[in-house]
Amino acid sequence: MTGPRAFRKAPALALFGLIFALLALTFTGFDQLGPLASEQAAAEQVVAADAAVAAPYAPAPKLTAADYPTIAGVNSRVAVWIFAQLHLWFAAFVLAVPIFVFIIEIIGMRTRDKRYDDMAYEFIKVSITAYSLTAILGGSLLFFLILFYPHLFGYLSTIFSESMFYYALLFFAESAVLYIYYYGWHWLQGGIRKWIHLGLGLSLNVVGTCLMLLANSWLTFMMSPAGVDAAGVFGGDTWAAMNNFLWHPINIHRFVANIAYGGSIVGAYAAFKFLTAGSQEERAHYDWMGYNANFIAICALLPLPFAGYYLAAEMYLYSQQMGITLMGGIFAWLFIIQAVLIGTLFLSANYYLWCGMGRSDGAKRYTKYIKYIAIVLVGAFLVWFTPHTLVLTNEELKALGGPHHKILGPLGIMPAKNTAVNVMIIFTALSFMFYRRANKVATVSWVNAGNAIQVALFTAGILNIMFLGIYHGYFTNTVYKVAASIPQVLTTVVVIVGSITLDSFIYKNSKEVAPLHWGRIPGRAMYALFLLAVAFTWLMGLMGYIRSGIRQHWHVLDIMRDGSVDAFTPTLGFAANVVSVAAIIFMAMVIFVFWIAQVSSNKTLPSGYWKE
Amino acid sequence: MKQFFTVVAFILLTIGFFAGYSNFGIPQIEPAPPPKEEKLDLGSMTMDQFIALGDRIFQGKGTCTLCHNSLGRAPMLGTIAEVFPKRLKDERYKGEAEDLEAYLVESLVEPSAFVVAGFGKKGTNDAESPMPNVSGGSIGLSEAEVAAVVAYLQDQAGAEVTVEIPTDVDAAEEEEEAETREALADPKAIMAQFTCDACHMINGAGGEVGPDLSKVGAAYDRDYLRRALLQPNAEIAKGFEADMMPDDLGEQMFVTELEVLLDFLVELK
Amino acid sequence: MRIPRLLQAVLVLLFVYFGFILVFDVILEAVIPASLIIMYMFFVTAGVFMVFTYDEEQTAELVAPIKAMVEDPSKRLIRNIVFVIVPLAVGGGTYWQMQPSFEAPLELRTIHPAPPTTAKIYGKRVNLLKLENPYRKLEKEDPEQFRELIDEGAAVYIKNCQYCHGDKLDGKGPYAEGLNPTPLNFQDVGTIAQLQESYLFWRITTGGPGLPQEAAPWISSMPVWQDFLKEDEVWKVIMFLYDYTGHRPRSWEHE
Repeated sequence: MTGPRAFRKAPALALFGLIFALLALTFTGFDQLGPLASEQAAAEQVVAADAAVAAPYAPAPKLTAADYPTIAGVNSRVAVWIFAQLHLWFAAFVLAVPIFVFIIEIIGMRTRDKRYDDMAYEFIKVSITAYSLTAILGGSLLFFLILFYPHLFGYLSTIFSESMFYYALLFFAESAVLYIYYYGWHWLQGGIRKWIHLGLGLSLNVVGTCLMLLANSWLTFMMSPAGVDAAGVFGGDTWAAMNNFLWHPINIHRFVANIAYGGSIVGAYAAFKFLTAGSQEERAHYDWMGYNANFIAICALLPLPFAGYYLAAEMYLYSQQMGITLMGGIFAWLFIIQAVLIGTLFLSANYYLWCGMGRSDGAKRYTKYIKYIAIVLVGAFLVWFTPHTLVLTNEELKALGGPHHKILGPLGIMPAKNTAVNVMIIFTALSFMFYRRANKVATVSWVNAGNAIQVALFTAGILNIMFLGIYHGYFTNTVYKVAASIPQVLTTVVVIVGSITLDSFIYKNSKEVAPLHWGRIPGRAMYALFLLAVAFTWLMGLMGYIRSGIRQHWHVLDIMRDGSVDAFTPTLGFAANVVSVAAIIFMAMVIFVFWIAQVSSNKTLPSGYWKE
Repeated sequence: MKQFFTVVAFILLTIGFFAGYSNFGIPQIEPAPPPKEEKLDLGSMTMDQFIALGDRIFQGKGTCTLCHNSLGRAPMLGTIAEVFPKRLKDERYKGEAEDLEAYLVESLVEPSAFVVAGFGKKGTNDAESPMPNVSGGSIGLSEAEVAAVVAYLQDQAGAEVTVEIPTDVDAAEEEEEAETREALADPKAIMAQFTCDACHMINGAGGEVGPDLSKVGAAYDRDYLRRALLQPNAEIAKGFEADMMPDDLGEQMFVTELEVLLDFLVELK
Repeated sequence: MRIPRLLQAVLVLLFVYFGFILVFDVILEAVIPASLIIMYMFFVTAGVFMVFTYDEEQTAELVAPIKAMVEDPSKRLIRNIVFVIVPLAVGGGTYWQMQPSFEAPLELRTIHPAPPTTAKIYGKRVNLLKLENPYRKLEKEDPEQFRELIDEGAAVYIKNCQYCHGDKLDGKGPYAEGLNPTPLNFQDVGTIAQLQESYLFWRITTGGPGLPQEAAPWISSMPVWQDFLKEDEVWKVIMFLYDYTGHRPRSWEHE
């Protein structure tokens, strides 16, 4: 095994070189961008903070198309866009994997079930190349940014040079910890060594999260600038610039989304291994792995709409203009595409759970409910999907007497959609509970009472959500429309947590109907996992477009104008095409990552090649 | 391997569906292009472009050619480089300029500093110029625009162009400030705002470029006058040139101002 | 006799489809747009597919007739008929779809275009992000005066706005029929209830001509009211709109 390991190290080292070179380029790049910036960067490396305070800062440059270097045949915006998106996908993936590897490792340590430890190792093993790719893509992004948008990068680096420097340091720390964590996995086993290993896992996550927070602050600065005056003159306080209005909303949203995303990608890996597995044993293993990955993805998917809603609400709060651009203006249709994608996510996650019920022999007792769950899910989804502005033919316009639709109109606004998404989340949780119960028979005496309480809990919860949505959404002040979403979310949380807690008591010491038949699942279910991964990837790309697009023709909102020929906002169709191309490139790279992980365990024994 | 290709096909199909839906399933709205910002152009302008800008303003927004034309309503400016030293020494000169650039700027924003003999407002014995201050009122050129006009005038007079292209002047913002005004309620103030008296005479005061309005209310009704204000070239009074009066007063005036002005005009009998 | 599963699936889809038509077009008399029902049916089909195929046995039963149709030698005649009909149906569908029609192209207007940051209103450059209704604070401070102002706003509305927007503020004024797009219905929860007062101020004062590019085509007949109404009158009308409809202007602060 030493051979292949060394082989894998080599590109990683080469990468370090590349990144370092790029970072060096970054700092030398300051010279041409502004002597102040380079002075500041140099000063920082010597005497940290206080040199920065004295330096006066220039206002944000006013750019014209001539300030943007071009390369014939290359659309600079699309190039930066694609590399940023690829980098983001990989970064999301590699940030997420250590999070759930860490959790699975803990589960393994507590249950002393070696299968979990092996699975955690396999997760990190299959994604190890992705770290290098993240770095390569990050370096390329930096390269293209400096190449095509030198003044923007120059301006940002006058403000963030300090944090960029720490970013570089953290990146080295991240890599160091990762390599010890991964290569030391089998060495750090048992007793105190396992604890050290777990500690490494924790620090890997802490460092990774800090990296994300830093990068997030740069991009949220561009959306909601802080720490600068109206002309863009930096006040000297980096923290003020980092701690801008949208920083935390983005942090929360990305953190949760990353976990769901990482889970879905690893799920796709397991699904592929399942489909190509040679033995029954292998099928069982990858079925189990896929199930766990999907479980992680769903757990993170359920709170995601709330995090997204919080982010959107904060954007509205930051600027009504941004809020309306986001929800009511040109981007309104993007949310219809988003609804299609999120619907795809929910439906395929549920479908996977239903298919998985075939693993147990006791599932027949619950399958009769599936169609009702499906009806509610699809129904709620249709409400969510209904656009605010209907596309009407002239005949329909005439028949309706105007663009307003008395039934569908009210479904197009937020209260209806909040209600729908809460119902979808509750029913997805219900699917999951049925799945958990499928193979168990409760032995406690109060099982009927317990079930009755659960039914009551669900009924009351759904009624409350409907009431809140309908009453507060349509019959009270607008301010409550937003406010009603919070009790709705709380209701959902109470229903899910309450019923699952109750379930764990009811099924304490329960009997298993029969051992679970891991691997007894139709191949179609695996395609549900693929669909989950693809939809997630594409959705992230789409939302990346809108997050960046709502700044419209500004590099830094209201402070630094985009003077390039590409300052216009592209149409949704164009954005979708760019996202699709990027997604295909990403998928190809992911397949490469998984393939390379597998290559290391393949051995060719050439006969007669080596002298005996 | 077959499995692999099936999965790849499935992935491509899914992405294709998403892309297809985004392209054909929903209406494609072309977002508004970013708003134009004039001030951005100044920074990258060459002197030639700057002079060309001055030319455009001279012919267009500045409305200079209304009078500075071959009809002799105002002095021609082609010889300005040769004649200005004499003017500066003239005893009627009230300004402070010492070179051509300063003189031109002064003439633009303070036209009465020196009035060329015979071109003064009627009855003022050449003490007051009929020309409005181009940086105010309805013309409202910004500092940068005035500079561009001066550059153009220097250039066309064959003098050395000494104007520097302003880089730190926020042209667009100044323009906005100039635009900022409340609707006026006094007809005299409105006429001053739109410099009507530069061309039209009322009760002996004003220019002669346009018809005398002293008794206009007796000859025409309100509707005619409204049309004459909004579409000045629709009908030209006898003995006057077409294309003299600005035809964008409808855009520049508040509706209330238009009505006030008409009230005033129909009463002139 | 049990209905075969394939037929069941088809029947469910037909049931849902005609259910939509029945409920919307017939019972509620509010037609469901074709663009919407296509997507609705797409997802309903996905749901039906999911319910009918999550189990191996049931899936086998579902696809058995299709499999038999393709593979069973005894079903040769049916197979041949189907294989002729399907391509013809697809071809025909495409033909009808692509055929030019006299239907005017769909027009899509953005009903709530994003407001600019600043706008020139009453000769002043107004920052729409910060603009507030100067009278709104009276609601608490001096309810009596507030009521008076609303009454004044009502008078302005009746004199100027109701011809199009209707005396019930439902967008059905005497002239509404003649306008396309039809005047906004303020009673609808999707209109003023979603907006801040500054947005209304912007839309009323600058009217149709003041719409931004993205709201093209600018066929809105809304006049530029800043030319006809005074600033305080506009604010009073806005207060009347909210008061009469019972909506609250959008704000992010709790009361």
